[in-house]
Amino acid sequence: MAQVDWKTPKAIQYRQTEVKRTKFRFTTNRPWTQQFAQQNRVGTRRKKVFVEPITDWSFFNGDRVEILVGKDKGKQGLVNYVVQERNWVMVEGLNCHYRSIGKKGDYPGMMLQSEAPLLVTSQVALLDPSDNKPTDVEWRYTEEGDKVRVSVRTGRIIPIPKLAEETKDYKTKRTYVEQEKDTTEDDLTRITFEPALKTFEMDIATKMGIEEDRVPLKTYWY
Amino acid sequence: MALPLTSSLVQTRVISTSATAYGKKNFRKFLMYGKRGTRQFKQQVKSDPTSEFHQMFSRGVRPVGELVGKKYEVIPEKIPELIVPDLEGFKLKPYVSYRVPDVVQGEFRPQDLFHAVYSQKIAEDFKAGKLDEEGRPLEPSEEEQLTPEVAKERALKIGSDRF
Repeated sequence: MAQVDWKTPKAIQYRQTEVKRTKFRFTTNRPWTQQFAQQNRVGTRRKKVFVEPITDWSFFNGDRVEILVGKDKGKQGLVNYVVQERNWVMVEGLNCHYRSIGKKGDYPGMMLQSEAPLLVTSQVALLDPSDNKPTDVEWRYTEEGDKVRVSVRTGRIIPIPKLAEETKDYKTKRTYVEQEKDTTEDDLTRITFEPALKTFEMDIATKMGIEEDRVPLKTYWY
Repeated sequence: MALPLTSSLVQTRVISTSATAYGKKNFRKFLMYGKRGTRQFKQQVKSDPTSEFHQMFSRGVRPVGELVGKKYEVIPEKIPELIVPDLEGFKLKPYVSYRVPDVVQGEFRPQDLFHAVYSQKIAEDFKAGKLDEEGRPLEPSEEEQLTPEVAKERALKIGSDRF
């Protein structure tokens, strides 16, 4: 992820340089939010957070996981929020802490319950659907050629939950409500192209009713 | 020349753009424009094409005419004419619905064009027995009679950048 603040124009007289930022502090705030921009504003430089690189990400929204460390050790819950940049996962209602907001004078403030993120590598484990116990997971291919998550212990396939498909625009693709600026399937898939033995310019000429009789003189390359 | 004690020397630094404006790297497509002058002066100059500073403050806008002597003559060919198709009854919209499955279409190759234009006639001629020993049609259609020279001429008539 890079944020280019200024790039010199693409012209011979300019030295090609960019003023950009490549190192960011990733948190539970998404990169397009104002809070992220505030945390990564110009002039801030945070210490590097070391994150174990994971090639195949196996945790999705709606997955059943068990927490292995902390206050809620042994409890199972659904994954609510995923931050891949930090290998984080937030489990709904578990591993929480309480914080009060708006404390002023005598008023104790409003108490909020907020989940703490858990590291995917060591603090959380996916559940095997056959016995609801934590397992290690691998990505393998089925006979048909689909890539699936498989529990290493039992070999049972762990399907990807429906909640993972959810985005800001829809819950599932099939339930998306079509808006007035959306092209529907019939309009999109209809083929209106009629092949003709004409170049692009000739095609436009026939459609616009332009007729040209003049033949240009022959040109030669030496 | 004695200065009065009440006055003070104000040191100002000015960036001169004249040097680079006349320098060797400021050719036509340079992006540096004149900065000097009051707002009123620059406004005056921008609206008057006969002014000697007009191009300096124009911000790179392409001129619509030419200065002939002291008069500015507008050349109508220089005014861009945007030809936009009429979108009456056009069904496609700016966005695509998420419900639509992926459309996978192969490239439209020259083989496909040949197939679309000639294949039906060839098949009909073959079934009716109207092809000679070498496979050439006995009653060629307009497209089949086309020679490469005539085809090229047709393409060049209306104007082409490929041939």
